[in-house]
Amino acid sequence: MDLTDKECVERCRDGHPEDFGSLVDRYQKPLFSYLAARVGNFPQAEEAAQESFVRAFQSLNKLRKPESFYSWLLGIAARVAKEHFRSLEHRQRDCEAAETMMAGAADSGEEYPLEEAITALPETHRQVILLRYYERLSCQEVATRLGLPLGTVTKTLSRAYALLRQELAARESAEPTVNQT
Amino acid sequence: MNCAECRDNLVACAEGFLDREALIECRTHLEACIGCQAKYKAIAGLQQRLVARGQAAAEVSLVEPVMRRVLSKGKEPERETIMSKILRHRWGFGLGAAGFAAAVTLIFILSTPKIQAAAAEAMTRGAQAVAKLTTIHLRGHLRTPPSDNFSAINPNSDFVTVELWKQFGPELKWRVEKPGRVAVMDGQSTMLFIKPDEALKFPQPSASAFDTQWLHELANLNQALNDELSAIKTHGWPVTLTQEHGADGKPKSVITVEAKSGLLTGDYLKNKFFSTADTRRVYVFDDQTEMLDSVKIYVHADPGEKLIFELNQIDCNQPMDASVFQLQLPTDVKWAGQMQILPDNEKYAAMTSEQAARALLDACDREDWTEAAKFFDPLTAGEKQTLGGLQVISIGTHFTSAISLISGAQFVPYEIKLKNGEMKKWNLSLKRDGQTHRWFVDGGI
Repeated sequence: MDLTDKECVERCRDGHPEDFGSLVDRYQKPLFSYLAARVGNFPQAEEAAQESFVRAFQSLNKLRKPESFYSWLLGIAARVAKEHFRSLEHRQRDCEAAETMMAGAADSGEEYPLEEAITALPETHRQVILLRYYERLSCQEVATRLGLPLGTVTKTLSRAYALLRQELAARESAEPTVNQT
Repeated sequence: MNCAECRDNLVACAEGFLDREALIECRTHLEACIGCQAKYKAIAGLQQRLVARGQAAAEVSLVEPVMRRVLSKGKEPERETIMSKILRHRWGFGLGAAGFAAAVTLIFILSTPKIQAAAAEAMTRGAQAVAKLTTIHLRGHLRTPPSDNFSAINPNSDFVTVELWKQFGPELKWRVEKPGRVAVMDGQSTMLFIKPDEALKFPQPSASAFDTQWLHELANLNQALNDELSAIKTHGWPVTLTQEHGADGKPKSVITVEAKSGLLTGDYLKNKFFSTADTRRVYVFDDQTEMLDSVKIYVHADPGEKLIFELNQIDCNQPMDASVFQLQLPTDVKWAGQMQILPDNEKYAAMTSEQAARALLDACDREDWTEAAKFFDPLTAGEKQTLGGLQVISIGTHFTSAISLISGAQFVPYEIKLKNGEMKKWNLSLKRDGQTHRWFVDGGI
């Protein structure tokens, strides 16, 4: 069975930096998705994701709750993305388009709450969702990977959907809809 | 199955883990229950969204470059990245960067909340204009094989006319028709007629059946426009709103939505159904009447895009003749029945999809129609005429599509030579029956 996030972080701090690779492997895809939605460009999202992981590694000693590694990582990624837009703003100081882009990027929150909502899941639920969708494993393969019975995986998935929908509904409730008449 | 049981089973249903019997019970309940349908849609929508996000990141591989950087001496970046260059030279970029910024601006402008709000407003007016529907008649042209499934599309097919008549009260009734098949719900039962002589009947009414769901959704304009707005927000699909003058000289609001299926380009079912196609949907509203004028749907085919569906007649609240909801059948029609448990059922239930495909095609070769009917029933006279005496050239290994997760279908590649000398190379779609656990043909022959 894979190490938990907490175990990985603790091993890195104890002089085993190679174990950071497990965390990169586990979260590279959701982090990339999250950043792709924020910066709107795949090559830059990939660069920003690398940058985020490297900064996370360099700041690992500051992480107070190792079990919250993923949400902490998204926080770092959000700052990297913000710096990216700020740099564009400086470059386009006299260009109104940059301002529009900043406003659009800041307001267009539809794309990335999914990865943020995943941070709110308990660790097992989060792992099941990440393996099922970002690693694209079947439920049976997820069960084997996590050493859980298939039934537990489907129940966990069911609960994870409910939690995700709740979380997303809270984040998206302010969006405009056509009135039902 | 009641609502509580159905909802307990929804995830297992969506993941394909229900046994056949439970699956049929679940689907039957879903057909009839709007509340559970909504729950199922919400789960399926979330799944679709997760699949799309996972697919977008499928090729990402950061472990090696990140680990190279973090393990390097002093933990400094080993090489410059675009990001680090931007951060370092944020003051010094010239025209090239301006070009990039303009491109990014366009992407975001197309998705800004302002555009979404304006599109929502136009759609709201359109929805309100048809809020009190008693009847609706839709007529459009669809690129599809004339006798194939109602939701099948094919960019290479000619256009055929597709129509829906729907009466909302006092009793819900509907009819969907294309040249090769008709589906009718007369308030008591639901029937499908596949021309020239096959029919299927469910003894209960249903809100939609036989893959006509997409037309019913379109007919429920209020809900359809809401769903489209919701999808735009959920998936971040680009949307544009323009003001134009139509051929009649009247001002129109044109809303264009770029919808993504989330399926990979190589997926077998990509672009075979609306739900599995990447499409550009163009809604035209008349600014004076505020009614939806027309809908055009383009599929991103190879090469370029192709108009696949054009809805150009929408009649609301017109009286409908009772005969519209009656189905005239030929006297020699063959009714499809439920699959029965066979004396040697276990032998068939133990087959793989490849073995079932082989057994069916071999039976056709021998013209053993009793054996063939164990997999493909009813076989019409025309089908027997075509398939009798065929020669099996090859049968491949089955494959699935992302959609198989929900439908349970397996596709078995085959190549046959018909007795008229024609070669046929295609994929047989097989599903397992819930009661008998035997494979049956769901398409591809």
